Amino acid sequence: MEFKPIIVSFLCNWCAYTGADLAGTSRMKYAPNIRIIRVMCSGRIDPVFVLKSFREGADGVLMCGCHPGDCHYHEGNYKCLRRFHLLQKYLLQMGIEKERLRLDWISASEGRQFMELVDEMVESLRKLGPFKIKEEMETFI
Amino acid sequence: MEGIRIGVFICWCGTNIARIVDIEAVTKEAEDFPNVVISKNYKYLCSDPGQDLIIQDIRDHNLNRVVVAACSPNIHEKTFRKVLEKAEINGYFLEIVNIREQVSWVHDDGDEATRKATALIRAAVFRVKHHEALFKRTVNIIPTTLIIGGGISGINAALEIADAGRDVFLVEKKNKLGGIAANLDLSYPYMTNMGDMLDPLIDRVLSHLHITLFLGSEIKYILGYIGNFETTVYSGNNKQTEIVFGNVIIATGLKPFDPGNIEEYGYGKFPNVFTSLEFERILKSGKITTREGKDPGNITIIHCVGSRNERFHEYCSHTCCMTALKYAYQIKSELPYANVFDIYSDMRSFGKGCEEFYTKVSRKNVRFFLFNQENGLPKIVKGGDHSDCDMLVELDEKITGKKIGIPTDMVILMVGMEAHGDARDIAHLAGISTCKNNFFIEKHPKLDPVATSTDGVYIIGSCQGPKDISESIAQARAAAARILGVVSQGYVPVEPITAEVNEDICCGCKTCLKVCPYTAIRYDLVKKVSYVNEILCKGCGTCSSACSTGAIRCKHFTDKQILSQIEGLFSTSIEV
Repeated sequence: MEFKPIIVSFLCNWCAYTGADLAGTSRMKYAPNIRIIRVMCSGRIDPVFVLKSFREGADGVLMCGCHPGDCHYHEGNYKCLRRFHLLQKYLLQMGIEKERLRLDWISASEGRQFMELVDEMVESLRKLGPFKIKEEMETFI
Repeated sequence: MEGIRIGVFICWCGTNIARIVDIEAVTKEAEDFPNVVISKNYKYLCSDPGQDLIIQDIRDHNLNRVVVAACSPNIHEKTFRKVLEKAEINGYFLEIVNIREQVSWVHDDGDEATRKATALIRAAVFRVKHHEALFKRTVNIIPTTLIIGGGISGINAALEIADAGRDVFLVEKKNKLGGIAANLDLSYPYMTNMGDMLDPLIDRVLSHLHITLFLGSEIKYILGYIGNFETTVYSGNNKQTEIVFGNVIIATGLKPFDPGNIEEYGYGKFPNVFTSLEFERILKSGKITTREGKDPGNITIIHCVGSRNERFHEYCSHTCCMTALKYAYQIKSELPYANVFDIYSDMRSFGKGCEEFYTKVSRKNVRFFLFNQENGLPKIVKGGDHSDCDMLVELDEKITGKKIGIPTDMVILMVGMEAHGDARDIAHLAGISTCKNNFFIEKHPKLDPVATSTDGVYIIGSCQGPKDISESIAQARAAAARILGVVSQGYVPVEPITAEVNEDICCGCKTCLKVCPYTAIRYDLVKKVSYVNEILCKGCGTCSSACSTGAIRCKHFTDKQILSQIEGLFSTSIEV
């Protein structure tokens, strides 16, 4: 059976979520593999949310905020960026491929970019295959 | 958790959602989600009968949590919160699932869309269980308003507010008021003199007791939040004035498109190729002549310069067609024997009195040629040796399908409008967003056209997109009315979504103080813990994610709520 990756996506309310809405109002079509969770600011994306998503069965996690300098709360996206870099190192140490976690900037007018981003990530996860760390851990135990 | 009674309501949005998502299947599926008491669907939940249905079910089934799966929360979250309040439960016991903008409108595969909608609704059911009652706070409003930009929009907004007896700070970058309107001779379609309309308004601004005018001035930052903003106005010779205000209106307008980089039009190369604004100056001088001082026998007007063309701007600049017709009319009135050639790519004469004006002008023996944008732009070349005219305009005429050349003494380029080069800086200092063309984005394109995503910040006139004078004035007065309403009330309700510190868990590491962009978190030296100033806090939640002990909760976006939402996404075997 064809592998259909599931992406959990955390979008900030002001830029990225609105950009995703714009993709909708513009009737752009993208892969249905994404599950969007709205947060007020990308700075709210706790690394625990990302880990929890993987643990529950996500094949990838996508975090999006406002472009640098455009954050509705001035600098929450910079905090998000810092956490992202640390988190990615941590994930690598756990054996989780870095393609599984992405951070990107989407403004309220970038519906097209959001559409392309989702399709691109779904495609790269499809190549990567299912998230298997749970099974691998079980064989260790 | 005991006593949680959830109602799930799924909207068809006519065919918008129902066409793709199998509503009945999702409704049925949702019946079995934990704590769900009823699951229903309806054609339009936002309609009055739709809202009544939810209210009735809340009462009949004693519901205490509601999930509405419909359009984006940015559209109707407030509507449905009010529905809950009408049924006498707290408005924050609601979770909206976006199955229109983020499901039915973006996916073609019905099965996949249905599966996704089901997962999202299940996640919302898991989340809403943990919602808490929240209560709106109010903040007092400083009754003064800052208006940035002294064009026709800014002037009208300033007068509307000042006439109601409220103080206005009007800041204009240039040394005079009036903006682009001040450069115009007559206005379409009634050919009223612009100066006759604008000058009395400017005089009133200059002498108004309630308007403090800063000419040749600018601002570089805005601090604060609705009701309580502050900034410094920088004026010439290093003068700085610190001001406080409750609301801000941005009326920075736009600038004319520079045709210099359109090679075909030879602007700058041929002396008698003018932009529309340059031609206004010629009209204002009282006599239409070429640069050499001769009466032009042949005048060509070219539409859509910089507009409706992917090389420049994709959008329509909205006012140029009517302005072109105005010029044709004025030229024909002043120089009845001159030939006027109007090269257009679509004649957009909508609006009251405009189509009638088009008819009137076309009966004045003005010659119209339709050019095909796809076959390239008209081209201005040097007139031949045997021609009396200096220039020849060559174009692909769409109706006849022929290539034609028009000998011309004078060309008027109907330049489009574009956002200012520093529009993004202005957006940044006011905390609002810009669209891909750098025009400011309104809160809702139809339902809330002058407000922005930042409370207390309004946008009027052409900084939001090309507009004519009457539309700009309508927006100016709309924003003024909104502000006067808030100011007369004296306070405004603000979102209760803020952070809070659990003193028992806080270890006093002060990490949250460093990440807060609003200095809303302070440190209690006696208790040795952090605490949140709820008036300053805007609820971004960055502190909550940074807190190492989990002492800070971001209300309505708590860890518990979001983690449950994630669990909900994956909790059954439907997911493949």
